[in-house]
Amino acid sequence: MDTPTTTDPTMARRSLPRVGGPLAPVIDLFSSVRFGIVLLTLLFLYMSVGSAGIIYPVHPNVFHPDAWVHAQFRQWRPLEMTEFEWFHWWPFDLLMGLLSANLIVTTIRRIPLKSVNYGVWMIHTGIIVLVVGSIIYFSQKVEGEAPVIRRAVVVSIKDAAGAVVVRERVIAVPGARTQLGAGPDPYLVEVTDIDPSWELLSGSDKGKRAYSVTLTVNRGDQRFMRQVVAGYPEYTEDLVLTDDPQQPVKRARKVNPDGNPIIDGALAVDLEYEGQQWFYLRNDLAKAWALYVRTPGDGPWTMRPIDGMPLYNDHIASRDEVFNGDATPIDPIDLAVPAVDPKDPFKDVDFRVTGYLRYALDRSKWMAGGEREPFNPVVILEVAQAKAAGQPAAQADRYQLQALDPERSMADGGILRAQVIKDEADIARASSVPSLRVAIPSIGFDGVLPITPPTAGAPGVPTPIGTADSGWSYRVVAVQDRLTIGEVTADVAIVEITSPERTWRRWAFSNPSMTRDLPPEDQGQQQPLPPDSSITMVYEPAEEGALLTVLIGPGPNQLRLASSIGSMRSAPQPIEVGKPFALPSGLTITLLDYLPNAVAVTKPFIVPPEERQRDARELFSRALVSGPAGGAQWLDYHPYVFDRRADALRRHPFEPTVVDLGGGRKAEVLFSRRREPMPTAVALDDFILATHIGGYTGEASTIRDYTSMLRFDDGSGWSKPVPCSVNAPVEHDGWWFFQAQWDPPDQARFEGDRASRGLNYTVLGVANREGVLIQLLGCVISVLGMCYAFYVKPIIKRRHREAALALAARLRAEGKLSPAAVAALDAKGGA
Amino acid sequence: MDRSTLSCGDAALIRVPGPASVRARLRGLIAALVATLVVAVAAPARAQEAAKPFHEAVDLLPLGEVAVQTEGRLKSFGSFANTQMSFVSGPRRINGQSPEFTYLDMLLRPESYEDADIVFVKGAAARVPIAEAVIDSFRDEAAKADAQARMDAFLKHGLISPALLKRPEVMATLRQMEQDLIRTEKVVSQIQGAMGVREPKYLLGRLLVIPPAADDAQQRWHGLGEVMMLAVDAERAKAAGIEQVPIAGIDLQKQRAVAGAWKDLVDAWAAQDAPAASKAVAALAASLHAVNPSVYPDTARLGWESWYFRNGNLTRVWLVYMASIILLLLGLVYRWPRALAWGFGVFGVAFLLQTAAVMLRWWISQRWPNSNMFEAVTTASWFGACCAVVLELWLRRRAVRGWFALTAAACSMVALMAAHFLPVQLNPNISNMMPVLHDVWLYIHTNVIIFSYALIFMAAISAGAYMLYRWRGGPATYARAGGTAAIVMAGGSGGGAMGFGDDAQSAAGRGGLGELLDGVTLLLMELSFILLWAGIVMGAIWADHSWGRPWGWDPKEVFALNTFIVFALLIHVRWRVKDKGLWTAILAVVGAAVMLFNWIVINFVITGLHSYA
Repeated sequence: MDTPTTTDPTMARRSLPRVGGPLAPVIDLFSSVRFGIVLLTLLFLYMSVGSAGIIYPVHPNVFHPDAWVHAQFRQWRPLEMTEFEWFHWWPFDLLMGLLSANLIVTTIRRIPLKSVNYGVWMIHTGIIVLVVGSIIYFSQKVEGEAPVIRRAVVVSIKDAAGAVVVRERVIAVPGARTQLGAGPDPYLVEVTDIDPSWELLSGSDKGKRAYSVTLTVNRGDQRFMRQVVAGYPEYTEDLVLTDDPQQPVKRARKVNPDGNPIIDGALAVDLEYEGQQWFYLRNDLAKAWALYVRTPGDGPWTMRPIDGMPLYNDHIASRDEVFNGDATPIDPIDLAVPAVDPKDPFKDVDFRVTGYLRYALDRSKWMAGGEREPFNPVVILEVAQAKAAGQPAAQADRYQLQALDPERSMADGGILRAQVIKDEADIARASSVPSLRVAIPSIGFDGVLPITPPTAGAPGVPTPIGTADSGWSYRVVAVQDRLTIGEVTADVAIVEITSPERTWRRWAFSNPSMTRDLPPEDQGQQQPLPPDSSITMVYEPAEEGALLTVLIGPGPNQLRLASSIGSMRSAPQPIEVGKPFALPSGLTITLLDYLPNAVAVTKPFIVPPEERQRDARELFSRALVSGPAGGAQWLDYHPYVFDRRADALRRHPFEPTVVDLGGGRKAEVLFSRRREPMPTAVALDDFILATHIGGYTGEASTIRDYTSMLRFDDGSGWSKPVPCSVNAPVEHDGWWFFQAQWDPPDQARFEGDRASRGLNYTVLGVANREGVLIQLLGCVISVLGMCYAFYVKPIIKRRHREAALALAARLRAEGKLSPAAVAALDAKGGA
Repeated sequence: MDRSTLSCGDAALIRVPGPASVRARLRGLIAALVATLVVAVAAPARAQEAAKPFHEAVDLLPLGEVAVQTEGRLKSFGSFANTQMSFVSGPRRINGQSPEFTYLDMLLRPESYEDADIVFVKGAAARVPIAEAVIDSFRDEAAKADAQARMDAFLKHGLISPALLKRPEVMATLRQMEQDLIRTEKVVSQIQGAMGVREPKYLLGRLLVIPPAADDAQQRWHGLGEVMMLAVDAERAKAAGIEQVPIAGIDLQKQRAVAGAWKDLVDAWAAQDAPAASKAVAALAASLHAVNPSVYPDTARLGWESWYFRNGNLTRVWLVYMASIILLLLGLVYRWPRALAWGFGVFGVAFLLQTAAVMLRWWISQRWPNSNMFEAVTTASWFGACCAVVLELWLRRRAVRGWFALTAAACSMVALMAAHFLPVQLNPNISNMMPVLHDVWLYIHTNVIIFSYALIFMAAISAGAYMLYRWRGGPATYARAGGTAAIVMAGGSGGGAMGFGDDAQSAAGRGGLGELLDGVTLLLMELSFILLWAGIVMGAIWADHSWGRPWGWDPKEVFALNTFIVFALLIHVRWRVKDKGLWTAILAVVGAAVMLFNWIVINFVITGLHSYA
């Protein structure tokens, strides 16, 4: 092949050397530039389709904005390929092989190796070298991630002689807990706080900052806190909790008569490195699903690779396996997952994966139980608000009310309720309605106002108080009976009040002394205000009922609706499943289903594509796994595998599932990705967050760099700390370690959780890079070749031409040129 | 341009009218163009002469030199306000007010904005359901008609009032839209963000304008809210429960000076007293500078930063480039030397203005501007213009003169128009770079790649001109010696008449323009071919030590390689086909299309590792 810079007719028209034998047509084909053009075109199309996907019409009107669909071709059900897999599939390899062969043969047969062609030779040679380097690189490529915790807290109990009696290890993250010892008074230890930047207040290193861990220790009546500072065991001290509100915590050295900073000398706490032994393969490069198996307990896991597992599409064998599988094609899989590790505790057992969901969440629903199930009545209702004329549809909300559960029997702030009636006497109590007793002296109003329910899907319309032009109105936002505030239980209605001057919200309690007004939002004030004296409002809760109460019983399947909407109060009316029941204010209530013996069923709910987080990757995927005894269960995906719950990193799940193997045997399994042993165990000594001016504010833009100070276990202990930052990887033992993720600060996420200041772990990228230098060499050769072909070759050709013209001129002067040659020379304008 | 370079055949194809009448008409055209530019420039000045409302009368210029700490940067108040107001009103300006004024007015008179159309909603897909919900929310026919009219404007301009967004029916619609994470969730999130940003509490809280006491420039700055109550007499403040503890380490008198100036500003603003407000603004700026001058950033830089944002990031230079294109076309097509000279002059002015814009942004952001889409697009086009200037100087005596300036002007005009008219997509705000961008390869790889992109675009312009030439019946001529090679081969003698094509062709007087356009395309393509390949390699080197792999088949990588493959195809197709010029032009345009697909569709639709570039 050649570049367009050339006009060399000897190259463009050069006849190919003759090749004999049966391979002649093949060699001629591979000597063809046209063949190379075809291959390049195919390569372009293949790469485009694999990377950007395809766009195709789904509607005859191609100009409609929704008429076109973009899809990733490689993700289609029969293919299920990642980008990496698409670009290492045999068609791609074949294309590259043909192109390389074409390049080699054409170069050798068509392009003479002389100075003007050095550029083309270099380009083609460089590309071949690049291809060779890429074969080496991609055939040996391994890439994964390794989370590395900063420290482990080692807690031990020592006897009087100083010998360790019990020892426990827990990772240093807020909320991590462990228990030491048995018997009536075990030590309950919890990591309550970690300060990654604790300032030393005394000693020779005063002013320096260090990693500090604070534990809460409970043992019987004894409760204290212990602070341990990494690298400074001499600063370990206990803090005693007191009843003094002025000083809730006292240093032990001030409590102990002898000034000892430790309350309980039998308890020893140390901070140790937690070396990471594994890294987990990236599932988005080449699919690397795996099942981890162990006997139930805290023992080590053994890995079983899952081959042939999909990634992008849902695969179910029956729509009963999920809640919303109507649109999901039935496309089962059945993959055997045999043991491959000699240490596998269940070598004789093959697990099977029979289903896969790309993005699903667990949902619980009430389903009809058999007659043997206990009485557990659940009503499923729909409350609809008819929309104004000309509007397409009514707004409707659905509710599930579990009558026997005090909390789940009510909905919408206590306005809707289901209640079991044992006898007719219960009906009167259930039919009583909540109301508001209101007095507004300025307009002379003093009376009882009904509580109007919010319309479906939106708060209700304000109702005038007194006369229509009084300027006063109210709107009930919510009611809550038996609300627990501190140690007090109260009934409250949240009401939006409009006076001629303003609109505000009031928490109107049944106990008037508790009633408060909410400050306007724009004042930024958090504390409630005393109620505005221009209006008094007392909430009078119903004796038992709500505005809309579904009465269940006393007869079997006897259902009635007690409604107190507006000022009407009527006798409870029978309701039937499927028949709408019209209410005042344009509301319609429909009993969709009644389940007298309801049982809660939990199944995956396939999240619609438009509601999925784009960067979630496989985080919400799950596999349907069964053992030899059947009983398939959906297993959530776990990015990392931990031995114990106490070892689970913050924000990472750990929910192993017990599978019945039959014959009384049970196994614990976990769905994750494959892992490989680290080339060298790695520990995190420190994590440094470099920020821009003003420090880290929670905004990513304030972060300048992340640095993990790593230590490697070389067999002789931990090495000196080595910084690993973004764009500055660490090479060790031929492997590269990259800064990949970090542990940001966050708040407590659930009841009993602890807030975290973050920086407790890092996630490193781990990869090999065989063949990279060969790739680089190929690239450099080709770049030099391009420069030569485009910019050096013309100079050489110009010199050749000038020399030829000079020679021609000399020959012409000597009269040695034929007339034809002279004419040609004149036509060229030379000499 | 040498007239002899265009043949009779070319002239016939272009159907050139008589030179005198053409020039007369063109002079009129130029006069009209100049008049339009003068009017465009003078219009704001005339507007200032009219009676000034408060927002025009109050002088906020001193605030331009006030620094605000935000998102890890110290920005000028002008730049800061521009960013914050863009969160509320997107690319729109509210009532023709400057962002600085709107920021303060929204903070000090929030009630004025409650029912004003200030919240920008992006995209028709989100506007339509919101508009329907607003109209449906009114029962009264007159109110419904009024809402209809407002919603018509909303559908067009995208601005809606907070009061309408707070209507229960609209909120219900927004909740529904929030469920659709692909199409509308982001818009709802932006609306919620806008509603939050316009709150006075937020606006006041973000005003971190008081420098820290320590001489450590990395320390957090303090907010006006931390000192503003110090202006109130201590006893009265205590009695009113608004007592404030002064900031430790900062001279109390200086804090009181800031608080006093702020109080004066608040009072003057409430009274809509422009002279008093202007005075308070000046006092506030001076008092803030005085708090700790040792850590205060260069006020000149702050002032220029505000000026830069006040003047639309100088993206209006596209108008000057457009004028240069018109003149250059007149000069090249009608062989009018004076128009060509004027074209060069105007192109030079445009280039200097764009250079000033790039350098100014470099100075105020304290980093080379190539780390977001706005910067990549504008800097890429500037690279193209630089290249054109060099080529025009090098080849000033060749027939090719003017074509590089023309292609570069077209490239810069399109880039600056995109930056000017698509501020949502090409956000001009200056922010910190992501940690991964803090690397020397950002300056090498990214600049080389975007330079190649600019050249590819320029090559597509000349290729488009070649196709137009062929469409108008031009002969299938082409540059036989190639692009750069033709120039080199011609040497000092000039080779053929134009440096492209062989002498026989030129001597025959046929197809000169075709050769020339083909040669320009090739010259640009050759350069971009090398730069693109080198840029891809450099990106791989960076990716190797940043992400752990030199090549990850990321869509951005793949389409950069695809662009290269198109040009590789061009080289080999050109060698094989008969109509070399046409195929070169077609593939050059295809290559540019693939490059633009990579820059636009891949960036905005298909996410990848390169989401910031």
